Amino acid sequence: MPELISIKVNNIKKKLGINQALDGVSLFFAGGKMHGVIGPEGAGKTTLMRIILRLFKPNEGAVEFFQDGKVLAFESIRDNIAYMPQQQSLYPELSIDEHLSFFGKLYQIDANEYKKRRKELLEITQLEPFVDRPAEQLSGGMYKKLGLMCALLRAPEIILLDEPTNGVDPISRREFWDLLYRLLEKKILIIVTTAYMDEAERCSIVHLLEDGKVIAEGEPRELLHKQHARNFDELFFKQKGAAHYA
Amino acid sequence: MSFVWSRAKAIAQKEIYHVIRDPFALALSIGLPIFLVIVFGFAIEFNVKNIHLAVHDADQTQASRGLIDIFGKSEYFIIDKVTSPEKAQQAIMSNNDRAALIIPGGFEKLLFTGKSSQVQLLLDGSDNSTVVPILSYLESIQKMANKQLANFNPSENIDIKTRFLFNAELNSRWFVIPGLTVAIMAILSVLLTALTVAQEWENGSMELLLSTPVQPLEVIVGKLVPYAFFCLVAVVFVYIISRTVFGIPFRGNIFVFGLGCVLFLVTCLVQGLLISILTRSQSLAYQIANMTGLLPAQLLSGFIFPVESMPKFFQYFTMLLPARWFMVIARESYLKGSTFFDLGIPFLALGTLCWFMIFFAVKKFKKDLEP
Amino acid sequence: MHNDFVVTVENLSVLFGDFRAVDAVTFSVKRGEIFGFLGANGAGKTTTIRVLCGLLHPTKGEVSVGGIKFDTKDAEMAIKKKVGYMSQKFTLYNDLTIEENLTFIASLRKLDTKTYLKRRNYLLNFISFTRPLNSFIRSLPGGIKQQISLAASMLHEPEILFLDEPTAGVTPAMRARFWALINDLAHLGKTIIVTTHYMDEAEQCGRIALMRTGKIVAIDTPAGLKKTTFPDKFYEFEPRKTISYLDIQKLKICPEFEYFEPFGMRFHAAFKKSPEAEKFRQELNVDFNTKEIAPTLEDVFIKITEEKGV
Repeated sequence: MPELISIKVNNIKKKLGINQALDGVSLFFAGGKMHGVIGPEGAGKTTLMRIILRLFKPNEGAVEFFQDGKVLAFESIRDNIAYMPQQQSLYPELSIDEHLSFFGKLYQIDANEYKKRRKELLEITQLEPFVDRPAEQLSGGMYKKLGLMCALLRAPEIILLDEPTNGVDPISRREFWDLLYRLLEKKILIIVTTAYMDEAERCSIVHLLEDGKVIAEGEPRELLHKQHARNFDELFFKQKGAAHYA
Repeated sequence: MSFVWSRAKAIAQKEIYHVIRDPFALALSIGLPIFLVIVFGFAIEFNVKNIHLAVHDADQTQASRGLIDIFGKSEYFIIDKVTSPEKAQQAIMSNNDRAALIIPGGFEKLLFTGKSSQVQLLLDGSDNSTVVPILSYLESIQKMANKQLANFNPSENIDIKTRFLFNAELNSRWFVIPGLTVAIMAILSVLLTALTVAQEWENGSMELLLSTPVQPLEVIVGKLVPYAFFCLVAVVFVYIISRTVFGIPFRGNIFVFGLGCVLFLVTCLVQGLLISILTRSQSLAYQIANMTGLLPAQLLSGFIFPVESMPKFFQYFTMLLPARWFMVIARESYLKGSTFFDLGIPFLALGTLCWFMIFFAVKKFKKDLEP
Repeated sequence: MHNDFVVTVENLSVLFGDFRAVDAVTFSVKRGEIFGFLGANGAGKTTTIRVLCGLLHPTKGEVSVGGIKFDTKDAEMAIKKKVGYMSQKFTLYNDLTIEENLTFIASLRKLDTKTYLKRRNYLLNFISFTRPLNSFIRSLPGGIKQQISLAASMLHEPEILFLDEPTAGVTPAMRARFWALINDLAHLGKTIIVTTHYMDEAEQCGRIALMRTGKIVAIDTPAGLKKTTFPDKFYEFEPRKTISYLDIQKLKICPEFEYFEPFGMRFHAAFKKSPEAEKFRQELNVDFNTKEIAPTLEDVFIKITEEKGV
């Protein structure tokens, strides 16, 4: 079994317009675990994701991928990273099946393998009865699950999900997380960004961002214990002090 | 970076779904050709008929009367006899006549002595729409006159000085319809593809696409295919109509014409994609596509206004327009029956433009989200 | 009498073609109440609000807002004068300044300058706004934009305010601040109807209507909903050491649970009324810190939805 891939983020600085989106961010994502990048809106989570995927170029710093202690070239693992962007990024008029077929061909998945994966994914997301429905007619939770299926189709070793459950009802959110947990069995490195503090608690390791800086990194229970906070909402509150005023 | 056909195929297949479900694109690709064929084929008549021609015959001989007859018997002119050249000029000034034919004394004599014989034609230059057609008639009238009036050296005896050289056919439809093929394809292809990449940026799917291994050239080729298919259908449609309804001859080689079609199509489609790639906004792309696709195709390609009569600057400028080159290929394939070698320069120009267009499209395709 | 109710809705249905966005909904809202609509995206909250604002016509049913029955075109205009609306999608123009935005809205509402300035200053003071008025909207942080938007929707002194997901995408601190403002408004006698899918916000409403696929599946005060859904004791379990996903799954299917849901790294649970269940609960103390808590609205939402079937 090949060694797991880890990601090291080295002192990334990124300015977007007049806003310093990331201000010297250094993080370590250990392979095969579920990582949560937590922070309020504007913390820099999406920017960080895009830099990892080379959709943005950092002003300073670098992102390195490690396997067996060696640095990997990004191009060699590009095929193995899956991404679920925060904003809607599927095609409204295409059905679930057409989406799967499209991405299957895009990733050059062999026909038999595709059939197998498609069946498995539709089963665990329970979307089999809706395969012919166009994406624009799917409910919020179903749309997100479709996005996840498209990402998982390529059987990636790393998967980045940017606020995947934003605006989705509590039941669909839980179903989504059930799906994510099953991925862990396959030792996939999962990086999830979320503004939902209870989701943060479900991760193996959390990385807290605010205003483009890292506030803390570590296991949820340990971190909360250290900071004497009951949950991450409290932790952030404590960091920032009193509530903002205009 | 390597090019993978299956990825391009995946993009093409997805594009087909989009097009089939997009009422605008479908309406455009079917409606526009039909509309243009109707308008240009049936409604517009470049020929102007019943032009009042003031005639002063100083010669009053059989030859001069014969010449006047040729003008009069054609459907284009109505003869108004005047008594002096000055009266003829007056008639034009007062808009009673659009043109005047002044035949000098000694016309017949000169003709029979074998020397060339001149007559003067005055035209109301302020009205372009009649001047141009009149001048186009003159060449044929000249030939007819030579045949009928002089039995020797037909080409030299009667010399009506003309400014423009048009092709021999008087039938304006024969002139317009092949050009219509060009105009339709130019407009349609640029418009259709101009929206597709911008649409992906606007609906957010470009971000996801960029995170996959897909290459710019694969996206470009994949998006070309469905639209190329639509446009070729439009071309076949115009071809069938032109041959059956309008009875326009096709004297050239269908394969040469076909090659020109494909080359031109690809160039225009890639032009549309380039606009989409650069603007990343559908509304902006649409405007620019109209400006750089529709207007040049109508105005500068030689469709209506001949290139040769444009100011020098524009004559050189139009060399950058694919439509201008394909216009030559289309017209000559229909009407002149030119071979591939006759059309060497247009093909070379078209091929070069095509290559450049593809090169820029691939180079300018943004592979990241940097603003 | 019915004077106490500022909004009454009876059997309201809104159909878009075949699609039932709102399905036979009935409720009423009292003056000075903070009334919340809770539900997933697409449940019908926004559509209902739009009808109440006079932006959409009901397909079926009777609607009365601020004493005006929504049955004619004129009624539409009359209703719009009485209500303020803060939409989730569009708030203010990004490329205009605060002042320009407010003056624009004031002119739409036909306010004369004196009245406008008086109200503007009052409202900006109310939200403790201290930045310069010629700042562009796009330069303001998210939470502040919402507050200005709220002020803008109140310029014409409506008695009823409709806020559609007003705190979407805003930091928790800002959300708390915003809700403090809403509470202040309610104390001043304004009726406020809010939609949200944040359960912790819903806790702050006087009464809540839970919507799912166009229907109201429950309507009561938060406390009332919790009592009705979970009449017996309700617990929170915190594992003493980290437990795996598989262990959670094993626990979930134990028959002693009436209700079991993970919440972050803890669990909320309610038990069946039986001696076996009681014994089982005691046994859990070995691996878990147990606490008796009040159920949250999220628990209510999940329980009710699962009961009614997906």
